[in-house]
Amino acid sequence: MSTSLDETLRTAVRDLADDAVPAPDLAWRALGHGRRLRRRRRVAATATVLAAVVAVTLPIVLLRPRAAPPPTAPPVTAVPSPVIRSAPGANWSNGPLTLPGGWVVTSLNEIAKSNGKSYLLDRARGRYLVNGRYDAVLPAPTGSLVAVWDDDRPRQVGLVDLARGTTRWYEPGRALGAPNWSPDGRRLVFTSQRVDHFGFVVLNAKGASRTHAVDTDEFLCTDHCFFLWSRDGREVLLQQTDPGRPRSESARHPRRGVQFFSADTGRPTRFEPLPGDPAGPWAWSPDGKLVVVQGQREPLLVDAATGRVVNALPAADAVWAGPDRLLYRRPNGSHEFVYADTTGRELVRQPLPEQFRLAEVTIAPG
Amino acid sequence: MAEVDREFTAFVNERGAALLRVAYALAGNQHAAEDLLQNALAKAYARWPRIRGDAEPYVKRILYHDQVSGWRRRARRAEVPVADLPERPAAGDDSDLRLLLRDALRALPPRQRAVLTLRYLEDLSVEQTAAMLGCRPGTVASQSAKALARLRQLVPALDELTTPAEVTR
Repeated sequence: MSTSLDETLRTAVRDLADDAVPAPDLAWRALGHGRRLRRRRRVAATATVLAAVVAVTLPIVLLRPRAAPPPTAPPVTAVPSPVIRSAPGANWSNGPLTLPGGWVVTSLNEIAKSNGKSYLLDRARGRYLVNGRYDAVLPAPTGSLVAVWDDDRPRQVGLVDLARGTTRWYEPGRALGAPNWSPDGRRLVFTSQRVDHFGFVVLNAKGASRTHAVDTDEFLCTDHCFFLWSRDGREVLLQQTDPGRPRSESARHPRRGVQFFSADTGRPTRFEPLPGDPAGPWAWSPDGKLVVVQGQREPLLVDAATGRVVNALPAADAVWAGPDRLLYRRPNGSHEFVYADTTGRELVRQPLPEQFRLAEVTIAPG
Repeated sequence: MAEVDREFTAFVNERGAALLRVAYALAGNQHAAEDLLQNALAKAYARWPRIRGDAEPYVKRILYHDQVSGWRRRARRAEVPVADLPERPAAGDDSDLRLLLRDALRALPPRQRAVLTLRYLEDLSVEQTAAMLGCRPGTVASQSAKALARLRQLVPALDELTTPAEVTR
């Protein structure tokens, strides 16, 4: 037998998957089930109390050294072990969940559970609120605004001001996706996916919006395409596909860089030759010289001006939490955040409460 | 039809078949696979405005998470034996071996099958598999080893292949 065990198993698992018979009414059945889920959530929401009003006590974060290796383990190397912080206790919602580097968790959404809750940080009151009213929420990285969505208002976005207790609804456009807050928490950018109307829409805190078309022949983007904010919040950027290299649907499309546009006028402003996609404004170092991107194969730290790869990293969705420190969530739905140096060496690990494994989590500077 | 419904339906029409393959490998049969995927898609629909740009990874996370939940619910349930496994095939008959293995995979406990699905259908490393399933890498390795042992029991021709270290590294 010449076939290796690995290959034989791979083939067998794929053979098994290939036994799946197409289910033509899948979308219809999922729609019906999904609508029932939404109705159940709304009924539950009527009984939801916004937050338990108890004493605000930030859980004491205990530091403990990493467990010693067993006697039979190889000799300890010179690389220091990361500090492993304990997970917050049961009363975690009574105070901001703080992360290494001075960042805080601004929202948690238990997406994986049918009756999962979502929580929002109320910065003014220093505690988390339970969201039982909206189908989706996205808190601004600073200030008191929260973008909210209601499936019964499919073209609208609401801006909730937690400090004032107000909600205003706006309709910035059609077929809009991938909303992202500006770093100052005053503007939202949406990617417009309308056929023949690709571009971005900027909505400000007062509800005024401007739409800017982007020529996709001149600024080619394929695969994952959505507008993000620059670090200073004056520009938005779009991923740019490298047209000279082959593309495959089984791999990330090759990138030649990112194109920046003025957020005010929509005009193209500058280009950075990055070999991958940054995750957001904090992917750039504070001095703007380095940037974390998702390369075609792996996350990379690269020179922003030249695109030169400095080193590989364990995660692409990382923020700079200091001049030479990165903060990222361990991939694949982990509930653990890692504070690392720019080589990816772990310095501190901070788990969230266990219930937030697989949850959607947003973070922001504290 | 509302805009959300149109987008969601287009997503399912485009990616449903690929997602059903993953669900089938996890569940082992058509009916359970459709149930698993339908639940995951329904959760995606309920959250569509927020996840519309990232729907496929979201649905996969739900599929695996639900499978993990299923493990816990089914923890005390006995394995379902595969009836009438064919005799050991002649050495060198790869197609027979593949058929036997495909049937044997269905006989694995869901947890072991999920590990093999992540490792061999999704091509994830042991560490990535552990992160996705919310367990330790050692647990993934031990589940892989148990799965292999069970497969060897059901398909003795596997003994002629290379060592179990290949699935646990």
